[in-house]
Amino acid sequence: MNHWTETDFQNWLYGLRDEDRHSTECPECRREIERLRQERRQITAEPEVPQEFLTAQRRRIYQRVESPGRNRNAIAWRWALSLAMLLLMVVGITIQQLYRSPAPISDEQLFSDLSSIEQTAEPKAIQPIHNLFEQ
Amino acid sequence: MGVMAERLGTDLQALPDTRDFGSWVTSEQKRVFLLCRRMLQDAEEADSATQDTFFKAWQALSRPESKVLDDPGKWLTRIAVNTCLDRLRSRRWQFWRKRPNSEDENTILALAPSKNPNAEDEVFANQIGERLERALQKLSLRQRAAFTLRHYEDRSLGEIAELLDLDVGTVKVHLFRALEKLREELHDLYFRERKNK
Repeated sequence: MNHWTETDFQNWLYGLRDEDRHSTECPECRREIERLRQERRQITAEPEVPQEFLTAQRRRIYQRVESPGRNRNAIAWRWALSLAMLLLMVVGITIQQLYRSPAPISDEQLFSDLSSIEQTAEPKAIQPIHNLFEQ
Repeated sequence: MGVMAERLGTDLQALPDTRDFGSWVTSEQKRVFLLCRRMLQDAEEADSATQDTFFKAWQALSRPESKVLDDPGKWLTRIAVNTCLDRLRSRRWQFWRKRPNSEDENTILALAPSKNPNAEDEVFANQIGERLERALQKLSLRQRAAFTLRHYEDRSLGEIAELLDLDVGTVKVHLFRALEKLREELHDLYFRERKNK
């Protein structure tokens, strides 16, 4: 029977493969399993965490436990600030819409106006005089 | 401080062995912090996630209707894992967030105590460990959680399923996919010696 492959060993280490007859009977694979077990224990050994860090962290936990209101206030403030910002944005956009200057005339529009003036036979200024005679 | 000691010294009925909250925090704190750090890969964020975890636990335990816990450690781990998953989810939106600096990390955390007499081997092992931690970022949130609980905490698949609220089959799939993405790092971690020999 074939020896276990590296993938087999990795899968076994992570619980995706059970030991089989070969792995229990083959001395070479057995040795490898034992080696991996030991290696894993060393690799995953808990690192040291400085005591001062843990003590300071505990103090902060106790402070939060002791004054949960402060935490609630902080959350409320954060919400209030976000709402205020949103409101400011809405007011700003509304004001901008209200006082927006009229849209500039496009070149196309300007040329079409000019050409229509040019094409009329009489200047526009004559129109009031015409009106006088018509009455 | 007096009031604090009074509150923390109170035996919580939900803790089975009549321990007070303060001593429970002391006994579980390091484990929870390391789990958070391994999941979040940022000591500062892990610190704040640890505080959140214990604060949530306190809130739940001090409710009058809270029941006696069968396994407070597992219950706390579940809170910690969910807190970390929430943070990892919200991290996706924090595009401005800078990557944690490994030098800063090392000032907060001392590295693993020397168990290996060969300093060179230890440095190499640390380097691979760091590489593995960086590689965890390639994983999805569930894959990362399943792998972290299996690799660092040596939890059984059943326990992982319970902690992540998944069935064992789904945990297996997550772990399998995680291993597929980490094969290279795991090779260096476990099988480098065999090649060197």
